[in-house]
Amino acid sequence: MKRTSFGLALLILIAGVSAASAQTMSYAEAISQIATVCKNDIARYCKGVPLGPRLRACFDANAARMSPQCQQTTGVVYASITRRATAQRDIGDVCSADILRLCGTSFADANLVTCMTGLAPQAMSPRCYQTFVDTGWATEKARP
Amino acid sequence: MKLHHTLAIGALLCAAVVTAALAQQSINSNQMANSLAGVSGNNRLSMTGAQMRQAVLDYIRDNPGALPPRPMSFPQLEGLTQFVVEVDFDFNSAVIRPSSYRTVGAIADALHHPLLLGYGFLVIGHTDSVGSRQSNVGLSQRRAEAIREALVEPFGVNPAVLDAVGMGEEQLRDPAHPTSGVNRRVQLVNVGKKFCFGRSGEQFLCQ
Repeated sequence: MKRTSFGLALLILIAGVSAASAQTMSYAEAISQIATVCKNDIARYCKGVPLGPRLRACFDANAARMSPQCQQTTGVVYASITRRATAQRDIGDVCSADILRLCGTSFADANLVTCMTGLAPQAMSPRCYQTFVDTGWATEKARP
Repeated sequence: MKLHHTLAIGALLCAAVVTAALAQQSINSNQMANSLAGVSGNNRLSMTGAQMRQAVLDYIRDNPGALPPRPMSFPQLEGLTQFVVEVDFDFNSAVIRPSSYRTVGAIADALHHPLLLGYGFLVIGHTDSVGSRQSNVGLSQRRAEAIREALVEPFGVNPAVLDAVGMGEEQLRDPAHPTSGVNRRVQLVNVGKKFCFGRSGEQFLCQ
């Protein structure tokens, strides 16, 4: 009983942290979590299924049989991947007004990302800022 | 406030662990992006993926034998920036092994790097010499396409900037040891700017 409530508390904590954290995972980190946590489930239910849309479909089709850890990981990981990919695709539209006003440049080159990284979050519209954070570009630039 | 600090330190520790893990596997998406951008990023490939695929088949027809008499040369690729990675596939199959999922994710990270926005890429698959030359072209083509498929979905790389070419065993990295594992590899080549951006952010095909 004690163990259950501890587990529950941990789950709530994890859920709370992921909801509050503004970061998406790198694609390498995201997909390697699936490779690690879901190794046995892939061997059992998705052997020979190619990485890509068909692997995701296999996870969906076998969700009920998969280990709870794998089930949870695929949920978190695909949500992160989708959020990052959507942000990277849409940032030009979401931020076009902010970019023109604050960086005075056309969208989508490394200089623009440098400009946006140097801006105070409050300078951008909240939606533009969130999208920029979701792209992961601010943190990519910070790394050597 | 305190909670925020703890979270931030936790996040920093996580980031450090992830970076260390990447370094260990010697696949770093920033490094990859920098290599692919490079100095000659403004060069452009003068032939299409379809023409390359045909050139490989023509080369085998014109240079028959159990092994290629010499590695096929592609002068058109000279001066283009590239990066070579190893991806593990199931034997004689185009299914990427889970042990290489991270590598494919790192390629996706690199292709989404701000330095590489708007550029086009070739995914070129190479095999060793086990099996016939023709069947190796087919196998490496399917493998290159499997990587392309995963980059597009779920990783959101624009399919219009990616083409796949199977080189088979026509460019062995170690011709003295044609069956060696070092010959099995995936080559990413920056084929030049595909999409340009206007002043107000509109995207169009570069001329």
